[in-house]
Amino acid sequence: MPLDSRRICGPESTQSPHIFTVNKDIKSDILLNGERKDGRKLDQIRPLFLRPGLISQAKGSAYIEQNHTKVICAVYGPREVMRKEDFSMKGQLTCEFKFATFSCKKKRQHQQDAEEKDLSVQLLEALEPAVQLDKFPKAQVNVYITVLQNDGIALAASITCASLALADAGIEMYDIVVGSSARIHGDVMLVDPSEEEEYRSQDCKDVNEGKVVIGLMPSINQISALTSKGEIDFETISQAIKTCIQTCQKVYPVLQNALVNSVKTKT
Amino acid sequence: MADVNYSEAEKTFILHGIQDKFPCREDGRGCEDYRHMEIETGVVSNTSGSARLRLANTDILVGVKAELGVPSPEKPDSGCIEFFVDCSANATPEFEGRGGEELATEISTVLSRCYDNSGCLDLKSLCIIPKQQCWILYIDVLLLECGGNLFDAASIGVKAALYNTRIPNVTVNQEDDEMEIELSDDPYDVNRLDISSSPCIVTLSKIGHYHVVDASQKEEACCLARLMMGVTAKGTISALKKEGWGSLNPESIFDMMETGKKIGQVLNTSLLNVLEEEEKSGNKRKTVGFLK
Amino acid sequence: MAASTICVPGQRILRTDGSHVAGNGTYVRNGYVHSTLVGHVHTQTTDDGKTIIEVRSTKTQNVVPSEDDVVTARVTNVNPRFCKCSILSVGSTKLQEPFRGMLRKEDVRAAEKDKVEMYKCYRPGDIIVAKVLSLGDAQSYVLTTAENELGVVIATSEAGGNMIPISWCKMQCTKSLSEEFRKVAKVQPEFIEYSDS
Repeated sequence: MPLDSRRICGPESTQSPHIFTVNKDIKSDILLNGERKDGRKLDQIRPLFLRPGLISQAKGSAYIEQNHTKVICAVYGPREVMRKEDFSMKGQLTCEFKFATFSCKKKRQHQQDAEEKDLSVQLLEALEPAVQLDKFPKAQVNVYITVLQNDGIALAASITCASLALADAGIEMYDIVVGSSARIHGDVMLVDPSEEEEYRSQDCKDVNEGKVVIGLMPSINQISALTSKGEIDFETISQAIKTCIQTCQKVYPVLQNALVNSVKTKT
Repeated sequence: MADVNYSEAEKTFILHGIQDKFPCREDGRGCEDYRHMEIETGVVSNTSGSARLRLANTDILVGVKAELGVPSPEKPDSGCIEFFVDCSANATPEFEGRGGEELATEISTVLSRCYDNSGCLDLKSLCIIPKQQCWILYIDVLLLECGGNLFDAASIGVKAALYNTRIPNVTVNQEDDEMEIELSDDPYDVNRLDISSSPCIVTLSKIGHYHVVDASQKEEACCLARLMMGVTAKGTISALKKEGWGSLNPESIFDMMETGKKIGQVLNTSLLNVLEEEEKSGNKRKTVGFLK
Repeated sequence: MAASTICVPGQRILRTDGSHVAGNGTYVRNGYVHSTLVGHVHTQTTDDGKTIIEVRSTKTQNVVPSEDDVVTARVTNVNPRFCKCSILSVGSTKLQEPFRGMLRKEDVRAAEKDKVEMYKCYRPGDIIVAKVLSLGDAQSYVLTTAENELGVVIATSEAGGNMIPISWCKMQCTKSLSEEFRKVAKVQPEFIEYSDS
């Protein structure tokens, strides 16, 4: 981790007190008598709020809220490629994914850490197939994602939010990308997991514990992003992908509506 | 990726070969065949375990070093593994300076994701004193030559190096409140790691309407989207990642996963067979090293 | 189709048949016209009886300079071989952020290319109308003004006054009446818009 010379940093190795106090017995089971702790059904997603176009300076922007997961995204461009070494004749898309320092249980650094860099790449790979890059040769479009509050599925929410912001920016796209995520817990599948329900490798001892994130382009039925974590058998993971596709299809009308409404209110 | 520019005609040639009714790849392989692979373990004496893998033109050297450290507060009762990939400028001048960094982080994140679960490698056994001392395995992957399919090659190399890894035996003595760790004097008093359920990555590249395994560098240039799978010998999937700037149809993803699972299982068993055979031959084995 | 229909990227607009053409803001996939933008659907009938389907965004269009586009640019730097400019707008669309452009000495005018003196054609601060010759290299687009209609349209004299063209190669300051050399654009009357009209 490179040292941040521009800010006054706290001591290098501080820990949140919570990791010592958490009662492992409660945490080990994410289901209470076969039900989810927040009272949702297994395949029920949290209420979704979307608003395109809220940052006035950006070319396009969007905000997404799924209970306590809150993500904001801004899109700039097409603009000139600033760094000479990044130059290419094709249009480019760049993504910067950042957790706000206070957004997670663990305090985040100001600079991007390895996880955030990995998420940036995943986000880029989810969005790139959807954007018509040939429409802006030699130029680039920058997508900046900030997670304000993380209560699970930060990546899936960011995919949805970023594609909404790109659409709001008037960047030509083949389709909107909808993200969704599922937690696999033995035989059950929890759609749209909250932070508490999300997969952590250290808590799980068995096979068939893990999570899947997908990005789907619903109207042309193409998957642009697919990642999984944890050891899962073949049938379960296929089932999880199918469940995620269904969730995306369910969410898609909400996105359409949000975009159509944003046009209506403007005119 | 170490990109080479190929002409449209050459790409079309590869594409058409795979599109035919009886698919034929540029080097005559079928869609589900790997290229010739050579593996040798224990090539670097300063490591706890090492392996060198040559997959056609791809050349990878993996070194494992076991060191003592403090376990992370989130996992106080288990050891850690750290992956680091170094894209040497030997492989291609593009990797000079920070050139290979992007590819290197990509490979190391995929590898660490594959191993980021309790089933694949028993990290608990690496713990010496909970909350105080544990073994940290530094797995360094050095890329010596790029000939396509780096992810698969790296994962196979890692698995072989882990098989070869010997961790010195330590005993913990309790004296009053002080814990003391004593390292065994006997260099043969070592522990080995159980890699029977460690995953191998299988990358399926979608070229045209078909998917192929173990894409060569040329084929990688034609491929729009790839699916990487960490497959264990049992056939479970420890990580999944779609990569590339194209998108995939859900049906073809399931097809690819099916192929990947099948191939991954075969790959795991044959790798283990080769490693065991090598081990059996013991000192009689002719070391090849880097002369080939 | 009514003009008020709003569509989102990826949405199917209609099936393509011989009588429909996919226009701006749309693409064709598997026999359907899909939208690529958020906006209203517009249809237009061409002379040969075909209907063009277009999606127009409510936002200003995203434009980047492409070959043969007429652009407006500000000269930022002049040297004997070329001048650098920042492209401010493409056609009639203003750019949110400028792009770098370069105008080489050979591309200043069509005739007597070898006799061009850069300082007698452009000065820093001039607003020029130029055409994109090629996408250029990593740094800038390559522009040309080798047409009568292209060249300086707005310039300030050394005295600080506005200048008006008096010939194809000279402009006069309205304040000091001094004359300065420029490669003047012959702006066609239909492109001139007066602010009070």
